[in-house]
Amino acid sequence: MTKMMKAALVAGAALALPACSSIGGDTFGMSSYSLARVARQSVGDGGLSVVAPRPWNRQRARLFSFFDIREVEDWTLNGPYLDGITFVTGLKSGRNMIYQRRSENQQVPAFRADMTAPEIASMLESLYRVRGGAVDFKTLGLQPRPFLGVNGFQLDYEHLDDDELWRKGRVVGAVVNGRLYLILFDAARLHYYNAALPDFEAIVQSAQLRR
Amino acid sequence: MCLRCDLTRRSLLIGGGAAAAALATGTAQARIRPADMVPLIGPGYRPTDKDEMGLWKEMERAEEEISGSNLLIDDPRITTYLRDLIGSVGGPAAKDFRIYLARIPQFNAMMFPTGFAVVFSGLLLRMRNEAQLAGVIAHESGHFLRRHQIRSWRDMRKKTDIFAIGTMLAGIGGGAAGVGVGDYVRLAELGTLLSLFRYSREMEAEADAIGAKLIEQAGYPPVEIANVWQQLVGEEQASAAYRRKRRDRGYDLFATHPAPEDRMVDLRADAAEVTVPGKLYDARRARYLDTIGSIRPMLLDDQVKLNDPGASEYLIKTLALDGWNGLLRFYEGEVWRLRNRPGDDVRAAQSYSAAVVYPDAPADAWRWHGIALLKAGRTAEAKAAFARYLAMKPDAPDAAWVRQMAG
Repeated sequence: MTKMMKAALVAGAALALPACSSIGGDTFGMSSYSLARVARQSVGDGGLSVVAPRPWNRQRARLFSFFDIREVEDWTLNGPYLDGITFVTGLKSGRNMIYQRRSENQQVPAFRADMTAPEIASMLESLYRVRGGAVDFKTLGLQPRPFLGVNGFQLDYEHLDDDELWRKGRVVGAVVNGRLYLILFDAARLHYYNAALPDFEAIVQSAQLRR
Repeated sequence: MCLRCDLTRRSLLIGGGAAAAALATGTAQARIRPADMVPLIGPGYRPTDKDEMGLWKEMERAEEEISGSNLLIDDPRITTYLRDLIGSVGGPAAKDFRIYLARIPQFNAMMFPTGFAVVFSGLLLRMRNEAQLAGVIAHESGHFLRRHQIRSWRDMRKKTDIFAIGTMLAGIGGGAAGVGVGDYVRLAELGTLLSLFRYSREMEAEADAIGAKLIEQAGYPPVEIANVWQQLVGEEQASAAYRRKRRDRGYDLFATHPAPEDRMVDLRADAAEVTVPGKLYDARRARYLDTIGSIRPMLLDDQVKLNDPGASEYLIKTLALDGWNGLLRFYEGEVWRLRNRPGDDVRAAQSYSAAVVYPDAPADAWRWHGIALLKAGRTAEAKAAFARYLAMKPDAPDAAWVRQMAG
């Protein structure tokens, strides 16, 4: 569930329930986090590398998991309830950012290579609403922004989750060769968002595609 | 993986449902007649028994938490409207009820033992007129007027032996920990509270009967309460059929144990019994739509973005029985776009182009119409649609992106 716990980031708090979380039971006493040092780190399936301005905690991928998405990795500074960065490193067309059963009544839409920025933004909104328990989601801004050397976009938003906390987020993303690359920052709107935003911006600036 | 480890039917049956299961024995029973349903509670009711006083204390704490929640929709016009509505169909306790509207996109409403009700915003979306909403509120009031919560609480405690109490607590604990994702019942641990008040089949029948009587007295067509039930069952079936599974649900405003078909027959019979021939009834549809009109786009948005195409499509079609408009056509397109199966882009594009013909088409319909045209290579038309969007919503949050496209 490690990467899937991006939901914990992506989804703010709702998914960080002890029973569901990789933070809790299923790691047999080992921490499921490792340190991301201040040096170039390759993230997700290795499709992207970044440098953080200070150490972050990266959620470790588990060896055998059907629920992890290879191209998704989560980092946090103060724990997934409060802040987190999710990397999506080259998701293929037709694939989903999150593991889900086909029988779920509510589904997060899959990514398609021909999606425009508003469609990607809408996919992310559904992710928060369907999997994160967001009851309100406000788009604050959607604008063009260069990313990884191509024409990407920046999405700013805030959402009220069912734990009654407002969270705020920023995503910088682009579709490169038909694959989706995103760096997504989501944190409690009060204090934590502003506190880690400079880190996020530095990480985005440092992002490089695998050569 | 337990992202949907919510309070399932099974955990209810194992745990909190132990008593409810015991109550739900026997299949055929005589219909409870509205005429026999007298309220057991008068105005200004306060508990005198020790156990009930304890329960009230707990519930007062829950109400305090709920009334301060930022999930509540704080629209004075709508909250006043709901208060007036429960004041007109609340029977003898009408003046004692409190009612809260929570922004939760689900078909649900619930009455707590102390006489406060929580209505989910998803309920307002699904009601076609005021009579339907009044019917649901009257049904919930009926649970209070017939003292169902304290009765089921006592019944459960009487019937559960030590072993069952252990499993009951386990069921509740499990439910409380698992609730949250997608099921929106974390508000004041509603899941835990509700599992303590599983109404029996008989109690549901009582609430139906008293509800029919109360809305008749307020001048609403009593048959609307049966129509609500039909819409709920229809939507759940549509949603489940879409994912190729059987309809299944933990709890909802009409607990699920009576077979839907039996319930429907009884509700129609209740309605027929209380309807006074020759009396003029009014469903007050215009007043309803006028009151919730300001939040209807938000309600539709909250529902459709959950990407539950079976339920959303059923719901939009149900609302469209009263006439299509730009808002409904637009959200029909959104259902297809989010479903995102082969061919859905074409379906969505058709809905958007149908939506923008209506004068009430929302600005977003023009934007998505533009995006669909753009993807179809019809650039000039797309630009015109984007220009229209920006004219309608000059400070749209995505104006920068759209301007680049319209460039």
